Amino acid sequence: MAENQLTDLAAPGIALLGLGVLILSRRRRPTRVTALPVLAAPPVDRGTAIHAAKRLNRAAGTLAASVLADSAVEHYRGSFHNKAMFAPLVTSALSLAVSVHGVADKRPAAHWFRDTVYVVAGLTGLIGTAFHIYNVGKKPGGMSWQNLFYSAPIGAPAALLLSGGVGFLAERVRDNKPGTDPLIAGLPAGRVVAAATGAGLLGTVAEAGLLHFRGAYHDPFMFAPVTIPPVAAGLLTNAAYGPACSNRRLTRWWLRLTALLGFAGTGFHAYGVARNMGGWRNWRQNVLNGPPLPAPPSFTGLALAGLAALGLLEDNPDG
Amino acid sequence: MPADPFAAPRATGGRAPDVFRRGGWVPMRQYRDDDTVDFAVVGTGAGGGPLIAGLAEAGFSVIGFDAGPYFRPLEDFASDEREQEKLYWNDERVVDGANPLTMGGKNSGKAVGGSTVHFAMVSLRFRPEWFRSRTILGYGADWPLDWREMWHYYGRAEKALSIAGPVTYPWGPKRPRYPYRAHELNGAAQLLARGAEAMGMKWTATPLATVSAPHGQSPPCVYRGFCRFGCSTNAKQSQLVTFIPRALRAGAEIRDLAMVGRIEVGPTGLATGVHFHREGRWRFQRARHVVVAGYAVETPRLLLASANGQFPDGLANSSGLVGKNLMTQSNQAVFGTMEQEVRWYKGPPSLSITEHWNYEDRKDFAGGYCWMAQGPLPVEWATIQTTSRGLRGQALRDEMEKYNHQVGLKMVGEMLPDERNRVTLADDKDQYGLRVARVTYSWGDNDKALINHALDQMQTSLEAVGAKEIFRQENDTNHLAGTARMGDDPRTSVVNADCRSWDIPNLWVCDGSIFPTTGGVNPSLTITSIAMRTADRIRMLAKRGEL
Amino acid sequence: MADRYPGYDVQSKRWSQSWNEPTRQVIDRRLAIPREPRFFSPDEWRTLQAVCDRIMPQPTDRPPVPLPAFVDQKMADGLLDGYRYAALPPQGDAWRRGLAALDVAARQAHCDPFHDLTPDRQDDLLRQMQTGELAGPEWGGMPCKLFFEHRVIPDITHAYYAHPVAWNEIGFGGPASPRGYVRMGLDRRDPWEAVEANHAG
Repeated sequence: MAENQLTDLAAPGIALLGLGVLILSRRRRPTRVTALPVLAAPPVDRGTAIHAAKRLNRAAGTLAASVLADSAVEHYRGSFHNKAMFAPLVTSALSLAVSVHGVADKRPAAHWFRDTVYVVAGLTGLIGTAFHIYNVGKKPGGMSWQNLFYSAPIGAPAALLLSGGVGFLAERVRDNKPGTDPLIAGLPAGRVVAAATGAGLLGTVAEAGLLHFRGAYHDPFMFAPVTIPPVAAGLLTNAAYGPACSNRRLTRWWLRLTALLGFAGTGFHAYGVARNMGGWRNWRQNVLNGPPLPAPPSFTGLALAGLAALGLLEDNPDG
Repeated sequence: MPADPFAAPRATGGRAPDVFRRGGWVPMRQYRDDDTVDFAVVGTGAGGGPLIAGLAEAGFSVIGFDAGPYFRPLEDFASDEREQEKLYWNDERVVDGANPLTMGGKNSGKAVGGSTVHFAMVSLRFRPEWFRSRTILGYGADWPLDWREMWHYYGRAEKALSIAGPVTYPWGPKRPRYPYRAHELNGAAQLLARGAEAMGMKWTATPLATVSAPHGQSPPCVYRGFCRFGCSTNAKQSQLVTFIPRALRAGAEIRDLAMVGRIEVGPTGLATGVHFHREGRWRFQRARHVVVAGYAVETPRLLLASANGQFPDGLANSSGLVGKNLMTQSNQAVFGTMEQEVRWYKGPPSLSITEHWNYEDRKDFAGGYCWMAQGPLPVEWATIQTTSRGLRGQALRDEMEKYNHQVGLKMVGEMLPDERNRVTLADDKDQYGLRVARVTYSWGDNDKALINHALDQMQTSLEAVGAKEIFRQENDTNHLAGTARMGDDPRTSVVNADCRSWDIPNLWVCDGSIFPTTGGVNPSLTITSIAMRTADRIRMLAKRGEL
Repeated sequence: MADRYPGYDVQSKRWSQSWNEPTRQVIDRRLAIPREPRFFSPDEWRTLQAVCDRIMPQPTDRPPVPLPAFVDQKMADGLLDGYRYAALPPQGDAWRRGLAALDVAARQAHCDPFHDLTPDRQDDLLRQMQTGELAGPEWGGMPCKLFFEHRVIPDITHAYYAHPVAWNEIGFGGPASPRGYVRMGLDRRDPWEAVEANHAG
C-alpha cells in the first residue's frame, strides 16, 4: 500500500517539480549585481525596468493560467448555471494572452491593450469576489463555516484580481521614463509590488487554510501552504517597508521555495484525487470533488511577482 | 468471482477478511473451543465492536461471535436496495401488540459489524438531562451514569469513528471539535435548513460517521446515497472497518456465521461459556466471562433461552425485567412535492438536522425529538406511498414519477419505557432450532402526543419552503432499546453502570438493551461510548482484582 | 403517457464508473429471472398474474417487468422479511391461502375465476381485500386486510421498483459505485443523471 502511494505521488510530483525548476531557471538575470546591494548603486537603465516588467507579466500570466484552469473546472462543476460564470474564463484567458505578449515585448511604455485587459481582469475578479460573497450570504446559514466550505469560494476570484493587479503594475513599471527610478503612483515600484504581493499571498494563504481545514488537515503536507507562504509574505512586507539596502538572500530563496510549493501542491492534489474512491479512473467525479488541481500554482504566480519586486528593489534602491 | 460469504465462515485458518481489499486477508489469532478465553462477546455491532477491541487492547483473550457473515464491502456490496437486504436480520420474528414493529432493516443487522454496516451514520450525543430524566425532567428512569463522564466517552467515540460534523454544534454543552468537517448539504438538507430558519429554529449539518476527507484506508464519501444499504467504498466508519480491524490487530478472534444459542451456567452460578452453531454443528466455547451484545431483541432472547434449573426465568432476570421496557423510536415523516428537482437519492440521507425540540421543554408531553432530511430510494419510497397513502395501480405509478421532486422530514422521537412492550419467546423455531422472539409493542398516550406534535411541526416546516401535496407517514419506527436496563438497584434493573449483570457476576450486557430511556436521537453513538467505557471499567476492575 | 425522462436508460451506465462488478452481477441475475413458477401451482399462478396486473399495471409498449416471477422467487427461495405479524401465517402459506381465497371470492361474486374477471371487478375485489371486507373459511382466520398490506402490496411493488425499468420511469440515478455524485444542490444534475423533460432547472 505504502509503495503504491509513493508511486502515485512520485509521478505527478516529480513532473511538476521539474516543470517548476525549468520555469524558475529560465529566469534571465542580465543585470544581476553580484555584489551586495548596499555597495552598489547601479545605473538605472531602461533594460532593467523592462526586464522587471516582463517578470511581472510572467507572474500575472501564471496567476491567470491558474485562474483559467480553476474557474473552468469549478464553473463546469457549477454547470455554468449563470452566464456570468463564463466571465472569469474569458478574462483570465485574455490576461494570460497579454501576459505572454508582455513577456515577449521588449519595448518600453505600457501597451494600451494589455493595460485594458489587466484592468478588466482585475475588475472581474473584484466583481466575482462580491458575487461569491453574495452567494454565500444567501444560503441558509449565511456566513457560516458550512457555506464558506462548500459555496462558491470567496478567495478564488481574488486570484483573478491579483493577476490583473500584478499585470497592471507590470505596465506601470514598464511605463517609467527611461533613466529614472520606476515609480508607481509616486512610490518606488519595487516597494509597491512587494507590498501588493505580500498582501496577495496572505489572501491566498487564507483560502488554502480554509479549504485545508475543510479537509481536516488529514495529511501533514496540508500544513505546507499555511506555513511557507506566510513567511514569504512577511519577508516581502519587510522588503516593502524596510530599509532600502539590505540583504534579501533569505527572502529570495524563500520566494523560490514558495514558487516550487505551488507546483508541488498540484502534485499533492493529483495524489489526493487518486486517493478518492475510484481514483483517476473516476476522474469525472474526483477531479471535481477531490482537491483542486489548478489552485496551488497561485502561490507560484505570487512568488514570481515577489521575486520581480525584489529585482526592482535591488536594481533601484531608493532613499 | 468472490466466494459467497454466506456459504462458509471466512474468519478461519488463522486469518480474517481484509475489509479494505478485494480478496484480501489479515492475520487473526484463533482459540480452540477448550481454551478458556477471558471474554466471549456475542455480537460485533456498536456495542460488541468497541468492547472486543478495547478488551483485546487491554491484553485479554477475546472471541467475538456474530451470527452473520464477514463482508468485504468492495467485493460484496452492490448498489441495490433489494440485494443489500442481506445485511439485515431477516430470520423470522413474530410481532404483535397494538402497534406491531416493522423489523428488518430499520432496527437490526446480521453481519460482522452489526447494524452499523447499514446504519444511516447519524452520530449524536444524548442531551445531558436525559441521563437523569426521572429526576430532572420527570419521566422515564434515571441512568446510573453521569453525563460528564459520558461527554468524555462521546468525545473518544467521535474520534475513533472520525465523525464529520459541524464546526460548532448549536445545542447542549460545549463539545470538542469533530475530527472531520461536515459534508456538503444536498437539496433535501438545504430545504430542512430553510424550513427551520423560517420557523426560527436552529439547524445544523448532521454529525455523520462517514469521512469527508481520506482517513487511513477509507476514501472520502462519494455521495452515492446507498448508505443504508451498506457502504461499498468504506467511507462509512462502521464497526466493520473501525473497531473490528483494531480488535484483530490486538489479538482478538472474530467468528462469523456463528450463532450463539445458549449461555451455559455452571453449578457455582457463574457462566462457563457459550454454545454456538457454526458450519452445521453445535460447539461449546469455554470462557471466563460472557458479554451479550446482540441488541434489544437477540440479547433478551438469548438470556431467556438460556434458562436452566437454577435460573428458570432466564439469566440475569431476578428483577423480572429481561425483555421488558422495549423501546423503539418514533420515525414518522412528512413529505411533499417541490417545483424544483431535489433528487434526494444523492448523498447520505440525513445531511441536516434540527434538535430544537430535544432542548425545548415548553411542551405538554414528556421526551423530545429531532428531525432530519430524508432520501428514501425507490423501493422504500414505494413502501411509503403504499403504506401511508394506500396507493396502488396507476395512481401509485403516477405519484412515483414525482420522485425527483419529493422532499421530506423524518423524526427520531423518544418513546417512553413501558413494561408491557417486551420481547418474549414464541413457540416457532428458526433454522437453528431456536425459539424465535416475539416482539410486542403498543404506543402510549405520551408517544402519540409527541408524534402528533412532531408531525405538525414538520408539516409547518415543509409548507414554509413551498412544498405542495403534503402527506404524512404516520406509522414508522426505528432503532431499539431497553430489555436489559441498567440501574443502581438490582430489583429495578438487569445490569449495573458497568453493564455487569446483578445476578451473575461474569455475565455482562453491552448494547442498546441497557438503555433505561432512549432519548430523542439515534442511539448508536451512545452505545459505542458506553461500550468504550465498559472496556475501561473492566480493565480497571481487573486491576483491582474485582473481576 | 409521455416519458418524463425521455431517452434515459439506467443500464446504459452499466460499464461506466457508476456500476461496480457486484452490481452488474446482481442486475444480470434480476433481469434473467425464470418466468415459470417454482413455488405456485398453475391455478395460483394465474390468479397471481391477474393480481400483479391490477396492483402494478404496466404500459403495453414495452415488455412487462415479470412481477409474478419475482413473488414466486421470494417464496421459492424463502427470502424472509425479518418479521411476521402474529395474525399471519408464514409468507408462503399466506400467499397460497390468500390467492385461493381471492379466487373463491371471485367465483362467489361473479361465478368466474379471478383471472377471468374484468379489471373493474378485479379492482373491486382487491379494494374489498384492502378494506378487510373479505372473509370466509377459506381465509383460515387470516385477516385479508393484513394479507393485502403486508404480503400483496410489498411483495409486488418492491419487485417493481427494484427493476431498472422502474428506475428509468422515475428518473432515479440507479447504481452509484464507485462513482457517486458531485452536484448536490436543488435543480443541479450531474451529466450522468436523468434529464427531465419540460423542467427548466
